[in-house]
Amino acid sequence: SSPRFSLAGWARGLLGWARPERLLTSGRVFPLSCIHTSAPLEKLGKWEKKNRIVYPPQLPGEPRRPAEIYHCRREIKYSKDKMWYLAKLIKGMSIDQALAQLEFSDKKGAKVIKEVLLEAQEMAVRKHNVEFKSNLHIAESLTGRGQYVKQIRYHGKGMFGIMRLSRCHYFVKLVEGPPPPPEPPKTGFDQAKEYVQELRNRTITHSL
Amino acid sequence: ALLVFPSPLPPLRALLRRCWGRLERGLLPRWDLPWGPALAVQAPGALPEAAEGAGEGGGEPGAWEGVLWMAAPKKRRTIEVNRCRRRDPRKLIKVKRNIDVCPECGHLKLKHVLCGYCYAKVKAETRQIRHEIQKQEGGPFKAPTVETVVLYDGEQPSEKDEGKRIIERARKRPSWFAQN
Repeated sequence: SSPRFSLAGWARGLLGWARPERLLTSGRVFPLSCIHTSAPLEKLGKWEKKNRIVYPPQLPGEPRRPAEIYHCRREIKYSKDKMWYLAKLIKGMSIDQALAQLEFSDKKGAKVIKEVLLEAQEMAVRKHNVEFKSNLHIAESLTGRGQYVKQIRYHGKGMFGIMRLSRCHYFVKLVEGPPPPPEPPKTGFDQAKEYVQELRNRTITHSL
Repeated sequence: ALLVFPSPLPPLRALLRRCWGRLERGLLPRWDLPWGPALAVQAPGALPEAAEGAGEGGGEPGAWEGVLWMAAPKKRRTIEVNRCRRRDPRKLIKVKRNIDVCPECGHLKLKHVLCGYCYAKVKAETRQIRHEIQKQEGGPFKAPTVETVVLYDGEQPSEKDEGKRIIERARKRPSWFAQN
């Protein structure tokens, strides 16, 4: 990672104004803490940047836009396929119900997701102007693949296998308001209606 | 008797040499390495001899049953097929409907299981009582043969606790620990 300006130049500049006679005459001490020379600590991912979008102020007649909170945790030592089952479980639930289900789940990822949800709830109340911490529901919950590391697994008779340590990311989007009602399952009658409608939508080309 | 050939023309001689070589190879079967493409079969290391295989007649049964048949996947399972199996409802985690609120502390608990918070609370207090007992006994195998009673701040032993061992705890009596 390259710093924004050269270290030698900075050091020269620092020594430049740190001359003792200059300090005595001016009587001011320049604090060093306001200069930061390091590059940004971590590269922000797309999900973290979603919290930064600012909408224009709403017009008086518009319905209130519900608050959206994006949170994630990176490089969790767990498999993304196994984590997906937990993410699928809590999709569309209210945050209290999700926390209850995760508390009594026996999976390793449940503890991690619970921490992430609690952090996100805390963030929502402090920074995102959410009034009631229970008035949140989970709009999206996704898993992603993290970095994998290969390791040797020793077998008998001098044989070995190469095992993969898998890691995953977990992303969650909380939205203010009660959870939306679940969609009713599609009946055969609905499917038949759709099929007939598709047949009716066909047009005959090159006709009168 | 010896076969005597008259000296033929050079190309004919080369042809005869080749034919003789092929005959030799045909007469003496040798398992040389450079083979052409051959039938690959799922089977363990030692193959049955060709003569024995020819003599079987049935193929499968006999001394070599199960040698040439091993289950193996024929084709790669596509991601669509894999998803159908992994996302089938019986593989998804089921939503638990037996979660309640503990009336004592307000934390969540399963209906048929003790509340985790209350249990931890009782466990911590029991640990302290056991420390007091250890301090009083001073070593292993010194437990008296009488009952034990635990008294908290400002409590006096009643007439029922006559011959019992008394353990003092320097705190207020917890609400969940009823006194007899």
